[in-house]
Amino acid sequence: MTQNTWRRLRSDPYGMSGLVLVTVFALLATCVWTGLLGHGWSEVSGGRYEGASSGHWFGTNLLGQDIFGRTLFGTATAFEVGLLVTFSSTLLGMALGGLAGWYSHGWLDEIILWLKGVLDSIPFYLFAAAVAYALQGSPWAMHLAMIITFWTTTARIIRGEVMRIKEREFIEAARAIGLPGLKTVFRHVLPNTFHILLVQGTIVFVAAINTEVILSFLGLGIQDGVSWGLMLAESSQEVLAGHFGNFIAAGTSLFLLLMGFNLLADALQDALDVRGALN
Amino acid sequence: MTMSMTGPMTMPGAAETTPLLELRDLCLSFQRQEHVAVDRVSLKITAGRTLGLVGASGAGKSSIARAILGLLKPDSGEILFKGENINRMNPRQLKMARQRIQLVFQEPSASLSPRRTVEQTLLEPLQHFAIGSAHQQREKTLQSLQTVGLDQSALKRYPHQFSSGQQQRIAIARALVTSPELLIADEAVAALDVSIQAQILQLIQQLQRDFGITFLFISHDLAVIRQIADEVAVMYRGQVLEQSPADRFFSRPAHPYSRILLTFAGGGTPQNWTSDKWNLERNRNAGHRAAACVFAGFCPEKMTVCENTEPVLRYIQQADLHGQGPHCVKCHLYDEVESNEYRENEL
Amino acid sequence: MTAALRVKNLSVWIESRSGRIPVVDRISFSIKAGEATGLVGESGCGKTMTARAILGQLPVAGIGVSSDGIEVNGKDIYSLNARRRRALLGRDIAMIFQQPATALDPVFTIGQQIGAVYRRHFGGSQQNIRQTTLESLQSVGFSRAEDIAAAYPHQLSGGMRQLAMIAMATVCKPAVIVADEPTTALDSSSRALILQQLKHLQTLHQTAMLYISHDLSVVRQACRDVMVMYCGRIMETTDCQSLFTHARHPYSAGLLACIPQLGATRPAAISSIPGQVPGAADLPGGCHFAPRCSRAEARCRESVPVMTDEDGCGAACFRPL
Repeated sequence: MTQNTWRRLRSDPYGMSGLVLVTVFALLATCVWTGLLGHGWSEVSGGRYEGASSGHWFGTNLLGQDIFGRTLFGTATAFEVGLLVTFSSTLLGMALGGLAGWYSHGWLDEIILWLKGVLDSIPFYLFAAAVAYALQGSPWAMHLAMIITFWTTTARIIRGEVMRIKEREFIEAARAIGLPGLKTVFRHVLPNTFHILLVQGTIVFVAAINTEVILSFLGLGIQDGVSWGLMLAESSQEVLAGHFGNFIAAGTSLFLLLMGFNLLADALQDALDVRGALN
Repeated sequence: MTMSMTGPMTMPGAAETTPLLELRDLCLSFQRQEHVAVDRVSLKITAGRTLGLVGASGAGKSSIARAILGLLKPDSGEILFKGENINRMNPRQLKMARQRIQLVFQEPSASLSPRRTVEQTLLEPLQHFAIGSAHQQREKTLQSLQTVGLDQSALKRYPHQFSSGQQQRIAIARALVTSPELLIADEAVAALDVSIQAQILQLIQQLQRDFGITFLFISHDLAVIRQIADEVAVMYRGQVLEQSPADRFFSRPAHPYSRILLTFAGGGTPQNWTSDKWNLERNRNAGHRAAACVFAGFCPEKMTVCENTEPVLRYIQQADLHGQGPHCVKCHLYDEVESNEYRENEL
Repeated sequence: MTAALRVKNLSVWIESRSGRIPVVDRISFSIKAGEATGLVGESGCGKTMTARAILGQLPVAGIGVSSDGIEVNGKDIYSLNARRRRALLGRDIAMIFQQPATALDPVFTIGQQIGAVYRRHFGGSQQNIRQTTLESLQSVGFSRAEDIAAAYPHQLSGGMRQLAMIAMATVCKPAVIVADEPTTALDSSSRALILQQLKHLQTLHQTAMLYISHDLSVVRQACRDVMVMYCGRIMETTDCQSLFTHARHPYSAGLLACIPQLGATRPAAISSIPGQVPGAADLPGGCHFAPRCSRAEARCRESVPVMTDEDGCGAACFRPL
């Protein structure tokens, strides 16, 4: 099945360009993590607001830091935030959504739905601020706030899908031999939701990065290190004075990465859709 | 087919054995008794024989299958497997019973887990019931595959890589892997093309012959039942209206509903069949009057008594020494026949 | 007399990376007004694609079609532009589907759905449309047409839904009706009724009926002629009586032998056709049935047998029975 998916994906030009974009950025992020690039992001290596030059491809910012280096480091930050939030919230959403769907209309389902309702009702940015305050400015406050609220969308989708899957006969077959509920859910039901989780994961990734940008504007974002969000926040004042370095660097990178993910998500959804037009 | 004589002899000359599976007054309903799916059903299935359960969809056949496997909880009545009440079994006994009763579903593609290989699917029951060592389990899965006509190369593949006929074979292999005594086939060939259906029926005949597996074969298709059943039971709206040895059923069915089904199956239309009669399956949920025959609304041979009193299931022929099962029918037309009266085999 | 439906050298294929996968391979047949012909075959033989082609639904993405003409009442539907072709559907040629439950829209009443079909092709006053709707419901056997017209699909049983679907298909009195497995989802009593009603309408409106089915016994009850299809080709075409008494093509004979029979005695052994239907992408050269045929010779694998023709009956076989 994965071969077919890959083949379908390969034939989709938009999807492939999305994949290329994402891969390039992922490679850059890896280079930063392994220390190959971007480690000088906080160094003051030039004068203020220098323009683009051979030493500083994107010029320098207010403090004389190399914008290009900061952009590279921002790539790593983006992936850090994105991957951590995506994995955690997806796992959480899958588990809770799966349990809610399997025991649907039971007490566990009611509790999980209630929790979902509560979390969905809280204005997110207030919540993020509250978490930051509660954790006294810990750098992980932002990630935590996102994980705690992002799982609900995944859970809702998975719950609906699980309720559909559990009516199918291969689940009846598992129950017929007396397989316990939890085993059935994790062995038979949830693996059939992976295609949904994959697409949902790419969407959450995009949401996480977007959220980080706004949180950085609010000062609730990355505390240690630099991110494109922070750079954009910085640039909001600078562009008025005619310094576009930060804005162009961060804005373009953000746009490219997010567009790449969006294209990939759409293409994945089509490629994974087994009930295609030809069937 | 061998029949062993066990259990008390309840009447002179009759061969009585403990049936492999027995249902006594089984009742099952949905939506808080609003829709009665199984209505005081009593059935006996003898070891080594195949009982064909026929009836229109909604008659309650699938509900019975699921109740036997514990997938549905009956409201009342007993399910006895080898004489033991399934509902009163402790978990260990229940697990043993489940090993011995297996189910094959209608849609082969839907009954196999799409993300698991054939090997994983076949091993699952063995691992769940902890049958044999890992090596023995692998042996068993190979054996099962060979019995259904597939080979080792199937093990690492996924269900969607097989045709529907092969998928159904895999489903049967999974059912065989625990060496069951009773196999319930719920419309197991209904979704297959006629040539594939023939191949699967051949396989079933082979299993009957070589392994002596007892079958409860559920189908709406009487011609299919004719090929493989030793006995036939007819259901309508949750009740068993007739149970008869297959030869007798197909040559001289007793109940008017059986006769109608056979006429339709043969491509004909029953006599005096007016245009509103065909709504046999309409108003599934409209209850019939409790104290009346469930088929009274549509019966061409309806009498006044049919609308006032529910008929009793009467034996018009007991099981005989030659291994032929009993013939019982729930119809006022046979009120003259004494219940439990033993007659010589009069054929 | 012009045939109501004439199909000439129809081919359908699926576009794949490895080229064209033939699904229907140059089939030709014709049906006269007032007659019923069955197209019989197992899954994957191409009969559904044939139906879609006849109804003008092809080509679509990935599925190609070609023919020397698909003529309804003499008009080649593929020579018309898309708009004219759509105008034809429902008016000159209509389809009856297998699953009445899913083919009917659950949020509209039966009367609204039938009325919508009639209005689309003929228009007219509200009163006229209502009258026609009730008439068409009565013509399929509903004694209480007003009640049925006011009902929603879920309020009817399977057999009644199928009758409603037939009423919808016949309200414009089409010249040709393609019935795709019309009774497969129904119980035996409903099946008998549906076939009865279809036959009645066939005579009443002199409609040409094409029954597509995997069930030979249904075709035997409903049709005068039958075509047996295998892997995209027609293997035998003859009248039903002859097929059942003396099938000429080994595949037809094999298929008939597989059908379970009701009878006084239980058969000792069930016969089947050895092997499996090949996938469309792995079709053998020559006669497609040769690998599974007990009568196959060398030439069967090398060249494709042409359909013999004796009074419109024939078998595509080098060694017919």
